Amino acid sequence: MLILRDIRKSYRIGPTEVDVLKGVNLEVQQGELLSIMGPSGCGKSTLMNCIGLLDRPTSGSFMLDGVEVAYTNDDALSDIRNRRIGFVFQQYFLLSRLTALENVALPLVYRGDAGQDTTDRCMELLKRVGMEDRALHRPAELSGGQQQRVAIARALVGSPSIILADEPTGALDTQVGGEIMELFKTLNAEEGITVVIITHDPGIARQCKRVALMKDGGIVE
Amino acid sequence: MILTSNLKEATRSLLASKQRTILALIGIVIGIGSVIAMVSVGRIVQDEALRQFKEMGTDILTIEKEFGGGLPDGGGGRPAAKSALKLDTIRAIASRCPAISNVAPSVRGTGEASFNGKKLERSGPMGVTASFLAINKLSIREGRFLSDLDEQSRFCVIGSQVAAELQKKGADRVVGSKIRIGDNLFTVIGVTSEVPQGGMRRFEPNEMIYLHITTSLRVFANAEISSITARVSPGYTNTAARDQVLAYFVSLGMGSAVRITSPEEIIAQMEKQMQMFTLLLGAIGSISLIVGGVGVMNVMLVSVTERRREIGIRRALGAKRGDIRGQFLIESVILSLIGGLVGIIFGVGASWLIAHFAQWQFTLSLGAILLGVGVSNAVGIFFGYYPARQASLLDPIVALKSD
Ligand SMILES: Nc1ncnc2c1ncn2[C@@H]1O[C@H](COP(=O)(O)OP(=O)(O)O)[C@@H](O)[C@H]1O
Ligand SMILES: [Mg+2]
Repeated sequence: MLILRDIRKSYRIGPTEVDVLKGVNLEVQQGELLSIMGPSGCGKSTLMNCIGLLDRPTSGSFMLDGVEVAYTNDDALSDIRNRRIGFVFQQYFLLSRLTALENVALPLVYRGDAGQDTTDRCMELLKRVGMEDRALHRPAELSGGQQQRVAIARALVGSPSIILADEPTGALDTQVGGEIMELFKTLNAEEGITVVIITHDPGIARQCKRVALMKDGGIVE
Repeated sequence: MILTSNLKEATRSLLASKQRTILALIGIVIGIGSVIAMVSVGRIVQDEALRQFKEMGTDILTIEKEFGGGLPDGGGGRPAAKSALKLDTIRAIASRCPAISNVAPSVRGTGEASFNGKKLERSGPMGVTASFLAINKLSIREGRFLSDLDEQSRFCVIGSQVAAELQKKGADRVVGSKIRIGDNLFTVIGVTSEVPQGGMRRFEPNEMIYLHITTSLRVFANAEISSITARVSPGYTNTAARDQVLAYFVSLGMGSAVRITSPEEIIAQMEKQMQMFTLLLGAIGSISLIVGGVGVMNVMLVSVTERRREIGIRRALGAKRGDIRGQFLIESVILSLIGGLVGIIFGVGASWLIAHFAQWQFTLSLGAILLGVGVSNAVGIFFGYYPARQASLLDPIVALKSD
């Protein structure tokens, strides 16, 4: 469902061109639990931003569900992010003024959905991640692990094809990080949700069915 | 749905940074407030002027000597003397034109007036006929007005202001006092009631010394009838009356010697002038509105900078550029509308105060309120557009990485 062919990304800093991704090839199948592992600064986040359509690769081909998507227009990219991709970030990235419930509902708002149906759906997802009794709390009133659970509910709410998680446990202690990993594994095992986890932690990577190693701007498995 | 959630979001974010919001609000309130106050005062002044004008009645025509309008028999001789309007000619208007019920010719005299050897400030002689009082909607406070039997007499009737001055200069009884104008002494036989200042009469009734017109024409050198006020008979339109009067003068061969104005024309002209005046006031108010608008823009720019991270998150979750732009635009429009509403209240309040102290009749102008709402909306969109566009053009990655 996800096919990357020879993805390259370079940044121009002043006169010099820095190649971060030097021809990444990757295929992700439906229902996979994949981790992309590599040392800090090797370009994992850059790769994830390209897969997540937040950034455009300099060159290469990127097919999502059989459609070439890397070079479509901005509105179309927003739409694909909204419907087909769920993001989980290291810093959670919840909106501080909104309640947990409202944060979870955000992707649906940009889809033009609202009303009782969405509220029910969001509550259901909060329940799925074990946060239903904190639905009306704001992020500042939640612990890091709780915030990340809300963020996962938000990533799931739009029924995306794939969940992209960039260092989802990076800001959490080992125990809470382990719980978050358990949640990903359950979602993958019980509901067949495709998850790509980016990490520099071999302990996390080991828990995934498949591990892709990033090295020198490319992927070796 | 996006709209309702945007509205909710916008109010929340405005509430979240109260100080900044309030500062921007003050600017908008002052801006809209001054526009509303200016426009509304303009309207009040306009209404007031029209009201005073109409108080004299709109069923009157003004006939004036056209300067430079020659007469057909004007060969040699002095043109001024040739084009003079004769008293008999004027008196005949009422009988020759059925549409005119009454005429009141007047002569402005020159010459200093004095009482007991002391000069009377602010007074001017004017020759009138008995009909003058009624046509100009004036009334007598003391004594009596000049009558047609007072032709060539040395009687005068004075305005309330002149009467007050006489008393100040030592007159025990105003009626019976003698006023000197040039070489002639006039006995005061009556005083007119005080009329509010600033009416639309072409003279100041309270400061007049009225003589009989026949007396003025003899006493003052070069005096001539310059203005006639004519009351239109009931059942006739001003236009019909005007046509009859013009036909009368044409039959005398004096068609080009007079200019006839009906109140409609004067009202139309006044309204035009007043509109210009209101427009000018509005333009002055708009300057502070621009300052207020720049304040909104500033607040919005700061808000965009502070919320880059939020913008990035929303973009990652699927917000399109248009959604982000809409969110910030709604915020600035809400800000401006709230400021506008408060500004309208302040502006209307200010114009009420001004009207109160100037003793004008206050009128609430719906136009000014609609203008206020419209303008504040426009300010919100105009000054909010640039920051909103900046927000929408942020690169999602750059926005996410900022803090
Ligand atoms: N916007 C950018 N401009 C220039 N260089 C960048 C930019 N973003 C990332 N890089 C560089 O790309 C490399 C990879 O960064 P990143 O993808 O964040 O690594 P990782 O997530 O694996 O730690 C780093 O050396 C970083 O300095
Ligand atoms: Mg990274």
